[in-house]
Amino acid sequence: MAEPELLLDSNIRLWVVLPIVFITFLVGVIRHYVSILLQSDKKLTLEQVSDSQVLIRSRILRENGKYIPKQSFLMRKFYFNNQEDGFFKKTKRKVVPPSPMTDPSMLTDMMKGNVTNVLPMILIGGWINWTFSGFVTTKVPFPLTLRFKPMLQQGIELLSLDASWVSSASWYFLNVFGLRSMYSLILGQDNGADQSRIMQEQMSGAAMAMPADTNKAFKAEWEALELTDHQWALESVEEELMSRELDFDGLFSKELPSGIF
Amino acid sequence: MPLIPWLGLDHICFKVTLFSTEMRDKLRKWREDNFRNSEQIVDVGEELISEHGSKLGDDIWIIYEQVMIAALDCSRDDLALTCLQELRKQFPDSHRVKRLSGMRLEALERYDEANKHYDAILQEDPTNTAARKRKISILKAQGKSTEAIRELNEYLEQFVGDQEAWHELSELYINEHDYGKAAFCLEELMMTNPHNHLYCEQYAEVKYTQGGLENLELSRKYFAQALRLNNRNMRALFGLYMSASHIAASPKVSAKVKKDNMKYASWAASQINRAYKLAGRGTKENKCSVKAVEEMLESMQITMS
Repeated sequence: MAEPELLLDSNIRLWVVLPIVFITFLVGVIRHYVSILLQSDKKLTLEQVSDSQVLIRSRILRENGKYIPKQSFLMRKFYFNNQEDGFFKKTKRKVVPPSPMTDPSMLTDMMKGNVTNVLPMILIGGWINWTFSGFVTTKVPFPLTLRFKPMLQQGIELLSLDASWVSSASWYFLNVFGLRSMYSLILGQDNGADQSRIMQEQMSGAAMAMPADTNKAFKAEWEALELTDHQWALESVEEELMSRELDFDGLFSKELPSGIF
Repeated sequence: MPLIPWLGLDHICFKVTLFSTEMRDKLRKWREDNFRNSEQIVDVGEELISEHGSKLGDDIWIIYEQVMIAALDCSRDDLALTCLQELRKQFPDSHRVKRLSGMRLEALERYDEANKHYDAILQEDPTNTAARKRKISILKAQGKSTEAIRELNEYLEQFVGDQEAWHELSELYINEHDYGKAAFCLEELMMTNPHNHLYCEQYAEVKYTQGGLENLELSRKYFAQALRLNNRNMRALFGLYMSASHIAASPKVSAKVKKDNMKYASWAASQINRAYKLAGRGTKENKCSVKAVEEMLESMQITMS
C-alpha cells in the first residue's frame, strides 16, 4: 500500500531534529549534576543495618546450609524459628509508615524530586512546542490510529495527515525516554538523569518503606526457613575425592617467587 | 628498568628505580589485595609521596592512608605523623581520618586517648563499624582477651554479616582453647564462602583438636572437602591421613568403619608419596627424600594403646 510519502525539508533535520536531541541530552546531564548537589544523606539507623544483615544471614543459611554439619544447621534454624523465642518470632520492629505529611524529610525529598525532574520536563516541553510549532518533524516507523493525532500533532491542523507524522513536542518526549541508555553509558548506572526510573519509584509508592517491610520480611524469612531441609553436601565427599588422582599442577616450581616485586 | 646494584651487598638485593606510574600501580595492587607487606609499602610510598607527589592528583589521599598504616606497622612515627597531618588538613571532619589518628595513638600505646577518640566517633555515628573494631583491637593488644571476646560477641550480635569479625572471633576462641565456639564461627564463614578451601581446612583442624569419634569423622570429611576444593592443599592431605588413621586405630569402631578409614588413609599416604616424588623430580636426593616420607608416614601411624 503505497501512501504518498511526504518529503520534508532537510532544514528541518538540521535545525529541528538535531537541536532537540542536543537540548534533551544537555538538560539530562545538567539534571544529573543538580540532583547530586541536592542529594540529602540517607541516615540509616543501627537497627536497620542490623536487621538487613540478619536477613542476609538467614538467606545464606537457607542457601548454603548444606555445607555445614546437620547439627549446626538445626541449631541455627532453631535459633531463628523457634516457636517461643526464635528471632523471627520474637522480634517485632516498631512500624511507622512514613507518610509524606508526617515525615518532613520525605516531604523535602519528594519536592526535590519533583523540581529536578518533572518541572524541567514540562517547561522545556512547552518551550519546544512553542518554538518549533507549525510543522511536521518526523515520522514514527509504525502506523498509529487517528486517536493519537491530537496528542502527537499539536499545532498542525491537518485533518488528512497520517497520524504517524508527529510534531516536535513528541520528538522531544521520544528523546527523553530514548536517551536513557546514553545516560547510562556516559554518566554510569544510577544517574540522576534517568527519569523513567524515578517515575517508576514514585509509582511504586514511598520508596523508603523500610519499617513496614522489616516485619513482613521477617515473616517471609521465617516461612522460607521452615521449609528448608538440610541436604549435606559432604555425604560422599571422600568417595568423590578418591575417584581420581589429585592434581598437583603448579604446586612445585623450580624457583620460589622472589618477593612481591 | 634501570638496575642499580646496591654497593656492599652482593647479589642479594638490588635497589630498583621504578617510574612513578609503576609505583602507583604496585601500591594499588597491594591495596586491593589487602597485602600487609608494610616495609615495602613504606619504601615505595615514601618515595612516591616525596618525589612525585604532584603527579598523583586525587590518588594521593588514599596513598597517604595506605602509607600511614604501613608506617605505623614499621614504627615510622615521623612518616605516619606527616601523612596524618596532610589528611587532617584536607578532610578536617572526617571519621575515617579520626580513625587513623586513633590508630596512631594505639601504635604509641596511648590506649586511653585512642579509646576517647573512638567513643567520640561512635557518639556521632553509632553505625560506624571501623571505630568499634578498633576498640576491640585495643582490648586485644592489652591482652584482655575475655573482654575482647565479650565485646566482639556484642558487636557480632549487631553486625552478623561481618566476616572479618567472625574470623577474628574464631582466632580468639582458639587461643582460649574454646574449640566448640571457634567451630561455630568457622561454620558461619564456611556458609558465606562455600568455595574457600582454607575455611574448610581450618574447621577440620579445630574439629580434629576437639577430639572424639564424631568430631574426627567430621574433620575427615572437611579435610576431604578442602582437598576437593583445592587439590594442592598439602595440609588438608596430611590432615585427611591423620584423621582417617586416628579413626581406624580407635578401638570403638566397627569393622566396616575401620576398613573404610584404612582405605582412606592409605590413599592419602599414596598421594603424599606421589607429591613428594613430583617435588623431588630431577634432583639427586629424590630417593632419600621419598624414603624419608615413607618413614614419616609410618611414624605418624596411630597405634592402638
